[in-house]
Amino acid sequence: MDRDIKISIRNLYKIFGPTPDVALAYVRRGMGKAELLEKQNHVLGLEDINVDIHEGEITVIMGLSGSGKSTLIRHLNRLIEPTAGKIELDGKNVLDFNEDQLRKLRREQMSMVFQKFALLPHKTVLENAGMALLVRGYSVEEFEGEAKKWLARVGLEGNEYQYPHQLSGGMQQRVGIARALASNSPIMLMDEAFSALDPLIRSDMQDLLLELQDELKKTVVFITHDLDESLKLADHLVILKDGHIVQQGEPQEILMHPNDPYITDFISDINRARVLRVRSVMTKTTTPPTDCAGDISDRDNLESVIAMSNGDTDLTYRVMKKGNQVGVLEMKELVKALVPLDASEGDARSRY
Amino acid sequence: MATYDFIFSALGLEDWCAEGQSDAPMSMAALLQKTKGTTGEPESLWDTPFPSMDALNESCAAFPKSRELTKGLEEGFLSIKDSLSVVLDPLTQPLSWALDGALYGMLNTPWWIVIPLLLAVVFFVTKSWKLVGFVAGSLFLLAFIDYYRYAMETLSIIFVCAFLCVLFGVPIGIAMSRSDMMQRLTVPVLDMLQTLPPFVYLIPLIFLFSVTESKLYGIAIILYAIVPVIRLTNLGIRLVDKDVIEAADAFGMTSQQKLFKVQIPLALPNIMAGVNQTIMMSLAMVVIASLVSAPGLGVLVLQGIRNLELGVGLVAGLGIVILAVILDRVTKASLARINASQKQ
Repeated sequence: MDRDIKISIRNLYKIFGPTPDVALAYVRRGMGKAELLEKQNHVLGLEDINVDIHEGEITVIMGLSGSGKSTLIRHLNRLIEPTAGKIELDGKNVLDFNEDQLRKLRREQMSMVFQKFALLPHKTVLENAGMALLVRGYSVEEFEGEAKKWLARVGLEGNEYQYPHQLSGGMQQRVGIARALASNSPIMLMDEAFSALDPLIRSDMQDLLLELQDELKKTVVFITHDLDESLKLADHLVILKDGHIVQQGEPQEILMHPNDPYITDFISDINRARVLRVRSVMTKTTTPPTDCAGDISDRDNLESVIAMSNGDTDLTYRVMKKGNQVGVLEMKELVKALVPLDASEGDARSRY
Repeated sequence: MATYDFIFSALGLEDWCAEGQSDAPMSMAALLQKTKGTTGEPESLWDTPFPSMDALNESCAAFPKSRELTKGLEEGFLSIKDSLSVVLDPLTQPLSWALDGALYGMLNTPWWIVIPLLLAVVFFVTKSWKLVGFVAGSLFLLAFIDYYRYAMETLSIIFVCAFLCVLFGVPIGIAMSRSDMMQRLTVPVLDMLQTLPPFVYLIPLIFLFSVTESKLYGIAIILYAIVPVIRLTNLGIRLVDKDVIEAADAFGMTSQQKLFKVQIPLALPNIMAGVNQTIMMSLAMVVIASLVSAPGLGVLVLQGIRNLELGVGLVAGLGIVILAVILDRVTKASLARINASQKQ
């Protein structure tokens, strides 16, 4: 595929402690996280991270707490300095940037959405949304139109002159998103942006993000600890554990072929019908099926297909993408794909 | 022979001690001792004196007495006093002008301008008619019992000193919040200023400046009252939500933008609490400073003590309480307005 690489992370290490360089040498020789903490009293934050973040895609970095995902996203705009490695943005190493270049990068290239919203409590919603422009030196009158446009886009029309504390959590995070969008930067970093919201609002916000993404095609890096969320949003999924990458790739691919018992264990709990999509289980062919029961999109999830078939496993569907046939899906194949992978050999979960 | 002779003989310092012998007249204590016929040698272990400077001096005349320590300090201070004055006098002269100017302005403006002006300020900072009414009532009461002049003197001193405290205190607090080193250096000084009894400030100041100059009490008040505003500015900025600071960084704010657009506005409730404390402490000090010629209600309190005029002292004390309540209510009300506008 000819996808442009926007950000490329190479051999990134982060070690927390008084002498990270010394500890780095031990890690390179193969010392693990627990041993490093015990013997050297350093915390291994990130270990040999290599990720390519493609332009116009949502890259989701998923991991449980302590896996280093928040540390990783803060390396992209250097809120945290790495111990070793390279981060290239459009081919330029971000780590070589001086203060001015870095500020320009943060102002014009990357915007960020935070878990705890981090809005300015003493500014109105409008001023918060225009924060990126305010920082660049525009006055309120100058950015008012732009900020209002994005606030309306995230559904906050009429709230412009309220203060953040007058809004609910979901609305505050909408302001956070409007603030990131109004900066007009090509890259959006979202640090557990929806984790503090309740499930219904979270689902709304995910839909909002996907909708905006269809339209704007930003490069989004999204951090989450929620597997369902990551499967819903991700074009590219990176799974982190204890500071290293366990597996990365297309989410459907990871679901169908997990390469680590940790991931198998992880995905054994999820509703496969809801997250698996037709394109992952269909047979690729352009020959129309003989007894076609109907057309489905390659992006439909299996749950909707089951609903459509009323549970009849004898049907065959034609899979369409942008009006052209790309494959055929037999319901029998679909049911096979729903068989959970044999995850917990013995008691795999207890090992993690 | 005295108790600690053995120390000096053991160290072989008898010669050095002998040099200190003088034929000067005996001290009163030595004379008394002589008449009693005791040698100064304690009779039992029970009476052994602590090896203090005076006790050691008894054994060895060359060893300095403790009196010489305080005397040395005094002489040292007096010897640098003149050169210190050369530097400090011009530096602090504006304070004198400010205090004299404020006093002159406040007292020579007719009451029917000053009182409405004060009430307008109260309304401007609190937006509360109830408070304006309370302040008006208090001021009229003070004026009615002919304490208007004294109250205005006290108020104008407080205004000048509290303003200067904020002017210097807030930047110092900001500097402390931005550098841990600065904080480590400043905190002991603040601790000292806060624990030193207020009277002690006055002693070196009396030597440095003339008692007729108003900067004398001005400096004493500022030193005493500046501490809370420094501390609370530092604390307020350090307590600003880390997430908001991170967001400011992530959007590429310069450290100046961060300071003026995020840190100071968010620290404002704490800074204002510091200002409130500073004003209250200036009021406390302006009373004590009447000892060194600060005008105002404190003079009446002092008069009450000195001349045993019970009534004058008590009424003046009541006047101070009224001023304290006014200042506290007004600053608290404006603080509450700031708090309300930035709930998290």
